[in-house]
Amino acid sequence: MLVFAFALVAFAFANVGFSLKGSLPSGVVEYLGPYVVIVLIAHLAMRRFAPWADPLLLPLATMLNGLGIVMTYRLAEQGNRLSAPLSSSATMIQVVYSAIGIGGFVAVLALIREPRVLQRYTYTLGAIGLLLVALPALLPASISEVYGAKIQIRLGTFTIQPEEFAKLALAASFAGYLVAKRDVLALAGRRVLGIDLPRARDLGPILLAWAASLLLLIFESDIGTSAVFMGLFVATLYIATSRTSWLLLGFVMFVAGAFAASKLVHHVGERFDIWLHPFTGQNPTHNAYQLVQGLYGMASGGLLGKGLGGGQPYITPLVQSDLVVSAFGEELGLAGVMAILLLYGLIVQRGLRTAMSVKDPYSKLLAGALSFMLALQVFVIVGGVTRLIPLTGITTPFLSQGGSSLVASWMLIAVLARLSDTARRPPPRPIQEEGLTQVVTIK
Amino acid sequence: MNRALRRISIAVLVMFLLLLINVNYLQGFAPASLAGKQGNSRAFYAAQNQYERGSIVTADGVTIAASKLSSDSNDSIKYQRYYPQGPAYAPVTGYETIFSQTGIEGAENSLLSGNASALDVRKIIDLITGKTTKGATVEVTINSKAQEAAYNALKALGKPGGVVALNPKTGAILAMASYPSFDPSVLAVHDSKQLIASDNQLLRDPAQPLLNRALEGSYPPGSTFKIVTSSALLTQSPGTTINSNVDSPTQLTLPQTTHVLHNDQGEACGDGSGQAPLITAFAQSCDTTFGKIGMQLGAAALNTMAQKFGMNDESLTIPLTVAKSNYVIPPSQALTAFSAIGQYSDTVTPLQEAMFAAAIANGGTLMKPYLVQQVTASDLSTVQTTGQSALSQPVTSSVAGSVGQMMRAVVQDPNGTAFSFNAQAEGGLVIAGKTGTAETGQFSLNDAAFTCFAPYGNPDIAVGVIIQGGGYGASAAAPIAVQVIKAYLATLGNQ
Repeated sequence: MLVFAFALVAFAFANVGFSLKGSLPSGVVEYLGPYVVIVLIAHLAMRRFAPWADPLLLPLATMLNGLGIVMTYRLAEQGNRLSAPLSSSATMIQVVYSAIGIGGFVAVLALIREPRVLQRYTYTLGAIGLLLVALPALLPASISEVYGAKIQIRLGTFTIQPEEFAKLALAASFAGYLVAKRDVLALAGRRVLGIDLPRARDLGPILLAWAASLLLLIFESDIGTSAVFMGLFVATLYIATSRTSWLLLGFVMFVAGAFAASKLVHHVGERFDIWLHPFTGQNPTHNAYQLVQGLYGMASGGLLGKGLGGGQPYITPLVQSDLVVSAFGEELGLAGVMAILLLYGLIVQRGLRTAMSVKDPYSKLLAGALSFMLALQVFVIVGGVTRLIPLTGITTPFLSQGGSSLVASWMLIAVLARLSDTARRPPPRPIQEEGLTQVVTIK
Repeated sequence: MNRALRRISIAVLVMFLLLLINVNYLQGFAPASLAGKQGNSRAFYAAQNQYERGSIVTADGVTIAASKLSSDSNDSIKYQRYYPQGPAYAPVTGYETIFSQTGIEGAENSLLSGNASALDVRKIIDLITGKTTKGATVEVTINSKAQEAAYNALKALGKPGGVVALNPKTGAILAMASYPSFDPSVLAVHDSKQLIASDNQLLRDPAQPLLNRALEGSYPPGSTFKIVTSSALLTQSPGTTINSNVDSPTQLTLPQTTHVLHNDQGEACGDGSGQAPLITAFAQSCDTTFGKIGMQLGAAALNTMAQKFGMNDESLTIPLTVAKSNYVIPPSQALTAFSAIGQYSDTVTPLQEAMFAAAIANGGTLMKPYLVQQVTASDLSTVQTTGQSALSQPVTSSVAGSVGQMMRAVVQDPNGTAFSFNAQAEGGLVIAGKTGTAETGQFSLNDAAFTCFAPYGNPDIAVGVIIQGGGYGASAAAPIAVQVIKAYLATLGNQ
């Protein structure tokens, strides 16, 4: 399966070369060579540290990450004077990020031999998560602001988006806290209007964490991620308590909050306007330019796409990060986008399956939370790009150009692999075989 | 917990289904409507990226628009459009920017770009045989010698104006020039910032270089409209001949006004007796005579004849759109007199000016003007040819013969307004024409117009010229027409 993933990536890579230059691209060896090596290392690490892990996870992630490298290469090779081109070193940087990501994957597998270890660090992880979220907001704008959102830390030419890692830490922290308190949350408390409300002291810390992260995100002007956090929180709470009322409450709270924000916060209202009326007035050439160009791109791709290297995805601003799906839509068409969505769907499905089969409640909750978070992130960004929901700038896991998201995604896959390894590991054999009962006949 | 997980799985499934359905809608059903949205420049890029755009060539084989591989290897558009002949042919080629096309570039865009459905079969053959697909080549009816003569003469004069030359027998446009013009190559750049800067500069230029005066400029025809008035007279009263005496007072007091119409310098018409043969009044271009004839005929009759010559027609395309030439029915007799001599609200394009002469030259049948001779695919097979068709028959051949004789007198009669271009002066070439000088009040000098055909015996070319602020038709417009005629007839002699 891994070989198949490689073959597909290599084919896509060659396709770009033939389309753009009419020959096999020179970068095949320098870009794909290292990629094959690092993925093989990941494969060996998984054989060594998590031999029973779900065999689908690594090939799926390999394929998505590979397609991301191909798209970066494609956009870097054919820049355009209409928008800032990717620099020619972008592809190599993306390969290096992939290496770091796989390094993170191997490290997670090697360090966390047993998922329940994480449960011990519930509060530590929660604090780290909050700190990571808060960091860009606390730092001066000169090193944290990009496109009006304060979500980065800039170290020289290097940038890190700490929230990508905060998501993982907070998911683990939520899961740990809720496992400890789930019985109390579900049973103790008062019933108000048919909804079971838990005691404030049980819910307090988690509400605090959630509210703090939401407020910080609004302060940092990053709506997409706040939606993912919110979804993560509600889903984890629901899995832990099995109370439908929580789900409803969370959903209503979010819709009401989003509606209020659209009226009160200017740039949130702007997002809604872009979503509802992208083609009216000045929108197509101003606020909604990015969305509209993305839509044009996907439309021009049609059913089968223009072929890698055949379209003009570079017209769309930020096509390499937020709108990478529109680039795939343009060049690989409806068929390609559906295939990519199914790749994500498969990862999520394997994750949820792991959650079902694993015995330990903490692992169950963590696997469910991480899978749902991945699904939600894909939904928010792909739905945004295709105008199903308002477009908010978050990264597309594995496909977007950029390091933090890629490394965090690989770490997520590593945790899922560890959890599935736990779930699928056969029960330990008894130390001593009982052997067959010998029948002794005495004459 | 598993029950909750199962429900979460269903929620995830619904989320992915929503995404899949939405993507299906967006890429399966919406493309047609999105592709047509304004500001969607991908359609252009697709056309440019896919195939090499076809050339535009003149009837005598001069390339006036072509594509070459872009010299910039970072360029996202593979081919660069260029216009080897520059401003002289800009009214014909139009331009092709990354956002829009005009002229032949616009009218024949789908064939030039190779995206027309007529080329589909050839594209498949090209695909199988491994040939690179190219857009079709458009051959226009323009004769390069006539075109260059027209543009150079306009440029030498240095005044805004337009020239159109037609083959009266077919309707083929032999020359179509406008001055001031522009170099379409500056708009073919792929850098959008540079393009917008150049475009703004051209748009803001008070000389209006982007205006194709030959087709889009509409100016008072002045006395050239007397061709229409005479045609109406000769058609309505069969007894009248060109030698019949008509009222030609030195002054004509217009009814219900105190306004007095007189000739250009207040001179007498004919011998000053108040009566003159029609041909004399025509050759001298007596305003009083034709003002009176106009009032006798009535505005309705003039309107009918003007429309038969092609005026008041909004739908004419060659295939470029042509501005409407106007004859507006005046509200009073006095204004009818003005309208009969090409004043009041009469306006014509240089093309219409050429059509007046062409109809007379072709025995009264006006051929539909056309600019595209044929379109050939990259394998040299013909995709489409423009057939000749008659647009209308404004006058019978005998009336056309009479008007033709009068036009001949304008140039050949010693009293004619354009006698300086008589056969003796032009080396035996007999030209028939009509001058026009219209007061516009816009320029210190009047607009000058001239419409003519030659050779008189067997006309090969009809030319219409209008110069804004040129002064007299005979001195500003006629010399340009004569240069175009001579340049064109010289090429026929060579064949």
